[in-house]
Amino acid sequence: MKRYDMIVVGAGPAGLCAAIEAAKCGMHVVVYDENAKPGGQLFKQIHKFFGSKEHKAKIRGFKIGEELLEEADALGVEVVLNAVVIGLFPEKEITVKIEEHVEHVKGDTILIATGASENMVTFPGWTLPGVIGAGAAQTMMNLHGILPGKRVLMLGSGNVGLVVSFQLMQAGCEVVALADAAPRVGGYGVHAAKVARCGVPFYLSHTILCAEGDDHVTGVTIGEVDKNWQVIKGTEKYFEVDTICLAVGLSPMSKLCDMAGCDMEDNPAKAGFVPIVNEYGETSIPGIYAAGDVSGIEEASSAMIEGRIAGIAAAVRMGFLTKEAGDAEFKKQKTALEGLRQGMFAPGMRGKAITQTEEGVAISKNLLEHGFVAEEEIERFPGVTHRKGIHPVIECTQNIPCNPCQDACPKHCIKIGSKITALPAVDPEVSCSGCGMCVASCSGQAIFLVDEDCGDGTAQITMPYEFLPLPQEGEKGIALSRSGEKVCEAQVVGVRSAKAFDHTRLLTIKVAKEYAMKARFFRREDAR
Amino acid sequence: MNDRNRKIGEYIPAPDDDVIVCRCEEITKGEIRRAVHDGMFTLTEIRRYLRTGMGLCQGQTCTRLVKGIVARELGIRPNELREATGRAPMRPIEMCILAKDKEEKE
Amino acid sequence: MNAEVIIVGGGIIGCAAAYNLAKNGTSVLVLEGSENIGNGGSSRNGGGVRQSGRDPRELPLAMYAIKHIWKELSDMLDTDVEYYQHGNLRLGSTQKHRQILEGLTKRGAEYGLDVRMIDGYEARQINPYLSEEVTCASWCPTDGHANPLMATMGYYKMARRLGAHFISGEKVKELRKIKGAARQVVTESGNVYEGDKIIVAAGYDSRFIASTVGIDIPMQPVLLETLVTEAAAPMFWQMLGTADADFYGHQTTHGSFVFGLNSGYEPYAKPGKPFSSSIAASAACRGIMHYFPSLADIKIVRSWAGWMDSCADHVPVISTVEEVPGLILACGFSGHGFGISPAVGLLLSQLALEQETVLDLSAFRYNRFS
Repeated sequence: MKRYDMIVVGAGPAGLCAAIEAAKCGMHVVVYDENAKPGGQLFKQIHKFFGSKEHKAKIRGFKIGEELLEEADALGVEVVLNAVVIGLFPEKEITVKIEEHVEHVKGDTILIATGASENMVTFPGWTLPGVIGAGAAQTMMNLHGILPGKRVLMLGSGNVGLVVSFQLMQAGCEVVALADAAPRVGGYGVHAAKVARCGVPFYLSHTILCAEGDDHVTGVTIGEVDKNWQVIKGTEKYFEVDTICLAVGLSPMSKLCDMAGCDMEDNPAKAGFVPIVNEYGETSIPGIYAAGDVSGIEEASSAMIEGRIAGIAAAVRMGFLTKEAGDAEFKKQKTALEGLRQGMFAPGMRGKAITQTEEGVAISKNLLEHGFVAEEEIERFPGVTHRKGIHPVIECTQNIPCNPCQDACPKHCIKIGSKITALPAVDPEVSCSGCGMCVASCSGQAIFLVDEDCGDGTAQITMPYEFLPLPQEGEKGIALSRSGEKVCEAQVVGVRSAKAFDHTRLLTIKVAKEYAMKARFFRREDAR
Repeated sequence: MNDRNRKIGEYIPAPDDDVIVCRCEEITKGEIRRAVHDGMFTLTEIRRYLRTGMGLCQGQTCTRLVKGIVARELGIRPNELREATGRAPMRPIEMCILAKDKEEKE
Repeated sequence: MNAEVIIVGGGIIGCAAAYNLAKNGTSVLVLEGSENIGNGGSSRNGGGVRQSGRDPRELPLAMYAIKHIWKELSDMLDTDVEYYQHGNLRLGSTQKHRQILEGLTKRGAEYGLDVRMIDGYEARQINPYLSEEVTCASWCPTDGHANPLMATMGYYKMARRLGAHFISGEKVKELRKIKGAARQVVTESGNVYEGDKIIVAAGYDSRFIASTVGIDIPMQPVLLETLVTEAAAPMFWQMLGTADADFYGHQTTHGSFVFGLNSGYEPYAKPGKPFSSSIAASAACRGIMHYFPSLADIKIVRSWAGWMDSCADHVPVISTVEEVPGLILACGFSGHGFGISPAVGLLLSQLALEQETVLDLSAFRYNRFS
């Protein structure tokens, strides 16, 4: 029977990274993926990733996918697409459907990196066409170029719900509301803030009561829930929508591990039914590894590192890498993984109420309850400073593992330090040239360049802008606040794009100077 | 040890009992709840008795939902219920394709 | 905990016995070793309710169950067990097949069963989806099929409603004789249960359990493999088999087809957790398409494997054990226990209650191997 040193099931971030590490050591590796395109979920991630420079931060997800694929290709990894692994049998034999037949292939090691599937919630009408997973909506928009609907309600304020809400608006949909049964926003505050300032109202402690419609969704009613998740009478709110997006978490797609006979556990900390793995990602069956979401839901950045660790472990197991060399590699990867698993959103922090940042700054309650930092809260964060002339205002208020802004400034005026989760601070001694590199580098779109007083009674605010059509210089419109409310008239005075900005445009607007610290988004006059 | 005669209370009809939970097999929440009171205390038994998760998607969507309903009815935590075993084929496959299996010799 | 009758094994045999005993007002306790009721062959078989092709010793049990119980079972159990009595076609395409089928047919007819040989044309009259490959078949119009999951869970549900006590995840370690009679059941968790009668209906595990009171039944575990398709519009309701026994199955109420497989390597499966083999489903698909070309595009959604307790002479042990008074054995069903389970459940209750059994059980004695 055909046999490989390593068979990888799933060409997502974990699978590709494992294949790359194994192939680097000389292993003969095949990667099977059931989709027509490799990259797993990376290929629909059009936003810039968080993390550290070494781990592809500020690069857009699909770009990371392309880079990994090129790297795997160069190393001689066989990536077989439209290849559905249908079974994993004893002796590490897999059956894989390719075109119109089934092949039997064996691997001396096998990595299962099958990812996750979307969770659903039930409510009357949830089976109506128009109720879809947020990930499905993202696939429709970003892979197939199809709008899921025109008017959307998003349920779920985790990163998926927030990111997809933003992307829905980028694609031209109207997001009428974002609801979550939890009392606090679950995802990164910066993701929430960029959705809120576009004018999307957040309804925390709200759940969907029912979807209306006969043969498709025509509306949705949400209502507020109390501490016991019971709906409070009289709090019902109706929205006319044609689409309800559910972003209520992911579940590991671990059935292949279960079929193979790996010891499994149902672990809420890993968001579901997962194979029990050791620190190298090895399951209870020696030589069978699991990495990425299949072994516990996390971010793509951690999936990549888990994949690398498993690839290295397989190489050590099969004698392609000495134990010493392997240990050195593990140490490196583990340090990186630990870095990513720090901060307010670390796996160990799930469900814990946080009151202050690592720096001791009281966190923004408004951000958690309404999706944006309130005006009276914003001044206390270290990235928010004032001075004469143009300068960065960094509205980054939570400890997340991300630091590209630190390296973005050619004058090194932004400091995070060695702890990747620290809040960025602005060095008052260094002058700002207004180049905008920091604005474009921030994956959370949380950095603004502000000139609070241009001398003529106006202020200028430069903001990241990722919508089309692009406003023109001189165009007049409305400045929106952090909450998405109209604050004042505004005029576009600059639109910059550069290769280094990677498709993020820098929009500079002019407003009356009293709005310098209020105006955070621009709406074109002819827009809704 | 799972005593099937332990008291879990009576089945009390709920307003959302007619909500479909398993879309593939069109099984409602009420059917699942009643099955628990008929003694189906494990996800595997529910599945064998009602066909939840036995349709084309093989439980990818409803497993977590069914787990929550059964756990609530039994008064236990959802993760105390073991998911039904994963089985080949992982994705539905036409008989004529599965029939064409070959071993590529190296 | 005490009960008049303790049943070791919560499969369809154990559940059917529990139902009959509970209906009689007898206190009964069922101990199931796994987490799930009906976790062995009961939930993994192909659902045949056949008389044709049976060993003559077993035939009376099958005939009795079909004549007296199966038709009533859905009502009895308040559960649709999806019983269809639309006949059994055993298909053949070669001269060798014809010989096998003729042998089976002759043997059945000798014992008063309505079973006969038919040609390919007549077979296609009965089931128009059969290919031209089919040149002969045996036909038993009173055979049929049912849903093993529903029948097993139905017996369980009704037994429980009638007061039978069930405990799962309670694996039996040993039986103990007290003052000369089997009386105690000791489990791996350390619990000791006491009963006047102990019925052991635990599939292949019965061998180890009986062995703790000095009884050995010659049987071996043999893998059985089954697959199920997506639902299709109703096509036919007969039970199907082949002369080579390479597959067997039927279409269910749900519309899906359930097919049992046979690759020939089943007796050599590694012990432990039953694994589907990587080749059996493919081989079965080829066999099925050979006789049913119109099923080529139907999707297979799931396959599974299980153990059957194959007895040395391929018929079960259904027997009291005089040297261990109080012990009743029901094991070694050899892969054809489902169709006769309603009768066996009744007979076991009669043995436990020391009543006269409705059928002669002498062919199923535990000591016939000596």
